[in-house]
Amino acid sequence: MKPLPANAFLCLVAPVMLGGQVVPRETLALVEQHCLDCHDEDVRKGDLDLSIPDSKLADGKARDLWAKVFDRVDKGEMPPPGKAKGFGEGERKRLVQGLWEPLWVSDRKDVLENGRGPVRRLTREEFEDNLRDLLLLPNLDIRDKLPADRESHGFTKISGMLDVSRVQLAGWLDAAETALREALATGVEPLPVQKMRFTGTDLFQGLTTFGGREAMFFARENVMVPDPTEVLKTLSPEERRVGALEAAIFRSATWPYFGYPRGFRAKYGGEYKVRFEARAVRQVPDFRLVPAYEPQAISFRARQPSGPDVSGDVRETGGWMDLLPEPKVFNTTILLKAGETFEYSLLGLPVPFIRTDSGFYYDFPPMPPEGHRGAAIRWLEIEGPVRPESWPPPSHKVLFGDLPLCPPPKGSQFPVGVVSKDPEGDSVRLFKAFASRMAREDVPEGSLEVFTKMILGKLQAGEPLVDTLVHGYQAFLCSGHVVYLKEPRGDGGMDLASRLSFLLWNSTPDAQLRKLAQPGESLKGETLAREIARLVADEKFERFVQNFTGQWLELKQLRRDTPDGRLYPEYRKDDYLVDSMEKETHAFFSEMVRGNLPVTTLVDAGFTYVNDRLARHYDLPRKEGSGMRKVKLPGWSPYGGLLTQASILKLTANGTTTSPVLRGVWVMEKILGELPPAPPTTVPAIEPDIRGATTIRSQLAKHTEVESCANCHKRFDPVGFALENFDVMGSWRDRYRGLDLGEKITGYDPAGHPYAYFVGHAVEPSGKLMDGREFKDIRELKKLLASNPRKLAKNFLHQLALYATGTRVRISDRPVIESILDQCEPDGYRVADLLHALVQSPVFLGVQPQ
Amino acid sequence: MNVPRLSILPHSRKRFLRGLGAALALPSLELFSRETTPKKRMLLVSNNLGVLPWPFFPKESGRDYTPSPYLKPLQDFRDQFTVFSGLSHPAVSGGHSTENCFLTAAKDPTGSGFRNTISLDQYAIEKLGQSTRFPTLNLGVNIDKANRSLSWTRDGSLLPAEDKPSTLFSKMFVQGNAREKEQRLLKLANRESLLDALGEDLSRFQIQLGKRDKEKLDQYFTSIRELEGQLLSAGEWEVKPKPSTQSVPPADILDRAKFFEKFELMLRMAELAFESDSTRIVTLMVDGFATPVFEVGGGEKSLNGYHNLSHHGQSKAKIAQLEKVDLRQMALLRDHFQRLSDSKLLDDTMVLYGSNLGDANVHNCTNLPILLAGGRFQHGQHLAYNGNRNTPLANLFVSMLQKLGVEADRFSSGEGTLDGFA
Repeated sequence: MKPLPANAFLCLVAPVMLGGQVVPRETLALVEQHCLDCHDEDVRKGDLDLSIPDSKLADGKARDLWAKVFDRVDKGEMPPPGKAKGFGEGERKRLVQGLWEPLWVSDRKDVLENGRGPVRRLTREEFEDNLRDLLLLPNLDIRDKLPADRESHGFTKISGMLDVSRVQLAGWLDAAETALREALATGVEPLPVQKMRFTGTDLFQGLTTFGGREAMFFARENVMVPDPTEVLKTLSPEERRVGALEAAIFRSATWPYFGYPRGFRAKYGGEYKVRFEARAVRQVPDFRLVPAYEPQAISFRARQPSGPDVSGDVRETGGWMDLLPEPKVFNTTILLKAGETFEYSLLGLPVPFIRTDSGFYYDFPPMPPEGHRGAAIRWLEIEGPVRPESWPPPSHKVLFGDLPLCPPPKGSQFPVGVVSKDPEGDSVRLFKAFASRMAREDVPEGSLEVFTKMILGKLQAGEPLVDTLVHGYQAFLCSGHVVYLKEPRGDGGMDLASRLSFLLWNSTPDAQLRKLAQPGESLKGETLAREIARLVADEKFERFVQNFTGQWLELKQLRRDTPDGRLYPEYRKDDYLVDSMEKETHAFFSEMVRGNLPVTTLVDAGFTYVNDRLARHYDLPRKEGSGMRKVKLPGWSPYGGLLTQASILKLTANGTTTSPVLRGVWVMEKILGELPPAPPTTVPAIEPDIRGATTIRSQLAKHTEVESCANCHKRFDPVGFALENFDVMGSWRDRYRGLDLGEKITGYDPAGHPYAYFVGHAVEPSGKLMDGREFKDIRELKKLLASNPRKLAKNFLHQLALYATGTRVRISDRPVIESILDQCEPDGYRVADLLHALVQSPVFLGVQPQ
Repeated sequence: MNVPRLSILPHSRKRFLRGLGAALALPSLELFSRETTPKKRMLLVSNNLGVLPWPFFPKESGRDYTPSPYLKPLQDFRDQFTVFSGLSHPAVSGGHSTENCFLTAAKDPTGSGFRNTISLDQYAIEKLGQSTRFPTLNLGVNIDKANRSLSWTRDGSLLPAEDKPSTLFSKMFVQGNAREKEQRLLKLANRESLLDALGEDLSRFQIQLGKRDKEKLDQYFTSIRELEGQLLSAGEWEVKPKPSTQSVPPADILDRAKFFEKFELMLRMAELAFESDSTRIVTLMVDGFATPVFEVGGGEKSLNGYHNLSHHGQSKAKIAQLEKVDLRQMALLRDHFQRLSDSKLLDDTMVLYGSNLGDANVHNCTNLPILLAGGRFQHGQHLAYNGNRNTPLANLFVSMLQKLGVEADRFSSGEGTLDGFA
């Protein structure tokens, strides 16, 4: 990254302040002459009427409209080539120049007067992460108490869209109360610990489960035991304790299944320690067990013990563990709510499926030559809730400092009280400490008084200390001091520190960042750069990876559609694959930032992250285990770069069919930063033909015979065509599948169901970009896209700026963005460089109001 | 806006709750008459084992459909209900586990990471605000209260159903325990003082802000004011004497085998709630799954528990019995419509009857049996949607929300109103 002179951004700013804020007459005359044929009040092409344009750019609406005119003309898209006679490059230059200065001046003036954007309230994810960190409750689960935030193109952090409503406020109050109750000690003494050990038939809720013997049985010395209850009777207590039987499981944990230990139910919510001995096995004919060839991943699912049917939440917990062919003891911690139990969840195994062709039963797939993959569990222990290292727990001390615990006084709504010699003094002291911790800055004395007055009033009315303070805390957590993020003003203070930590941690600044934001310190230059690097290196940076990819790439839509069971039977209930896809993209994007990789890795890279399942999906050499590992991609692999990751290819398809239009539009908008106009409402969307009679390409060819359709489609269709080589789950294909026509393919899906589909027309992935460059397939397209890194970098900055500041890149920000790009160009637009430069620019730092 | 916005509520009313909390010397209070339009109501019923599909769905669609065997008993009300086919909740599969999603449409209830979402009744009352003593009532027949409910909060918590008519009756008509009432009022007063502090603090907070920020904060002030209004309304209900009724307190039926008697009693409780305007939104889960061997009628007992019976496996004897069971439910509905009609409530009461299962025999969750009466829709038809394309049932919910007066253009998987139904 090129070093930047200290006044670099000022140079961009100074000279233009002299200009006016109206579109000059000469420019208007050009518009009248060359634009009005199509854009007058009668024709209104593209719903644009320039006949009586508002030329006063102080008005935000007029400014937006003229900015659009500016962009289309500047890019050479308008007037349409060949349509406007006498509109040469000279006219284009004059029109663009005439518009730019007043646009810039008026937008700049607005920023200086009113700030770049309004205050922004926290999103629901931020509200939760913020309280997790501040109250020292890493498992706090309150986001769903808040209504979903409105979003635009996937982004929820947009200031203008983050409204406050009655429902929102009630949600905040509710969420804050829940968080405070959880932070409070549960009693004078810690909760009693439940401890259980399961062996033999107690390892499983039943002696069999859905899917029959093939799906689950008990084994002794590697052989299935037809009547385990009888066998148990013959065993000595010691033999039982050690575990003479193994529970062998060969199916996934999905409905209907109740694979949880017998008789366990968490009395209290919290973390529980689980220890168990298990191994990876294969089931071979006659229900015998032999060691597995490969590790088998296991996890747990927290759920209500509600029989085979599910009621309430289902949560994967405890992480992924790889069972090995040799028995091994595993330790993990799982999170349970009161009343819940947990079931064994073997990843990537078959799902029994209902059959009604001869009676009613659950079938299991035929045995593959190497046998059924599975796991054998010998014993399992659970202990919890895990006690905090000290009592009361750290979260309680955030609320009540070192005041000793006592039983709750009469009339208290809480399970514990605190002893205070000076309730009024203590409550004011504690409240002030709490408020300054939560508010990220000094709370004005007058504001503090509003709350302490309420607290003291209640104390005097005889309410217990815990009740009054919790009540006061609850109010404060919903107050403007906590829920709003203010626009920094270029002075390196707490508003900047907050913007930075909410960008990279989705949460409040920690003690060090706070300290650097104090008056007298300077959160800029080198110091700021060190802080950015520190935040990126921290584990809380995962929240950025998750939220930013979730919003920008819309990765949060990954599970929106499930693959059609008729066309894609091999993916039935393959949650393991979908989860692995998500992990790949997270790991890859994280590496882009932490490894400061060039922005072109978005479209092309020589590596990715895979585990056993994903390696299989990508036709790569076998990998063992569920953990994601960085692998070098062979030259023939089409999978390098974020663009062709399975997650992206899945979320841009609908589970049944792929559409070059949808995928092309996604690439334009998310990767290249060109938002295509919304599709006209009068033209129905193309329905891909799932019989197999025709290809989407020939359907689109017909559609784009109409010139007005072709004008837009040629922007995005070609890119989409190159991606047609990937099916709805991102697997490579050379030919399309259909339900009726082509070559018949049959087999058994993971649920044991016979299937038949047809393979037909060949995929035609070649195309031509708007600029005339041609490509034959995705590999060539990637090279073309990667050859314009500035475009990729510019889009990345725009997306990041919106996410980071809650406001789109404004007209007056554009020179700043260009200067960042210049600065990052010599090193090939590396991602961390772009991040650093954006944070160090006035777009992020804010400007002093005038 | 520099002026605190809380002055809209008159001072005396604003302090009203606090006064109540402290003193409880209650003046008899005239409720503010807030409504001029007719009161809109909604009863949402689901039997979690559904009905046999072929005798339920009419063969023809449109206005001139020939009544199916199950719809014959309802013909007196032909113009007051619509029967739907081809509706389902997209991506809601997993057999019986879908029962808790009937009014939420939350996807994939058996998948890892599932969490239920807000149900139609809770969503509606959240938008409408409380104007009756009970925002909603959630009822059940033979229900496994710990695991099943039609009513769920936004964060996926089960709101337990009430299955005792006697409890419902005393909730509605018997004056409560003074101490409990005092505690509830105290809670309201607490919240009122909390909102007061938030408003006052916010006025101070916004002084530091710019013009655009202040505009943004106006939403917050409005929200405080609206929540205060709701508290006030809740407080008024606490002090207002409960209505009197001519009805005799019902005796609870404890025998789960008396399934139909229990079902009928719950329908009557819903009617009572509407007539006394105790609430305008009622949900009722008929838990067939938790119903053991039961009395089918005329001394006949079901061959199995209801669940096993529903997996008839094409057994003629079981199917014959299921037809009887289903028809008796239709008769219950018919009588319910009649009583609502007699008390002039049917026009403004939407009664939804349906199930999360399209065909319980094979755990199918598509082509759900759905019937909607009342509510001043253009009824009298069989609206047949293409089941292959999974028309979201939640579109019908959006239509219902709008009839209820909720400004909503989407709900859960429903991204608009139901085409062709107005």
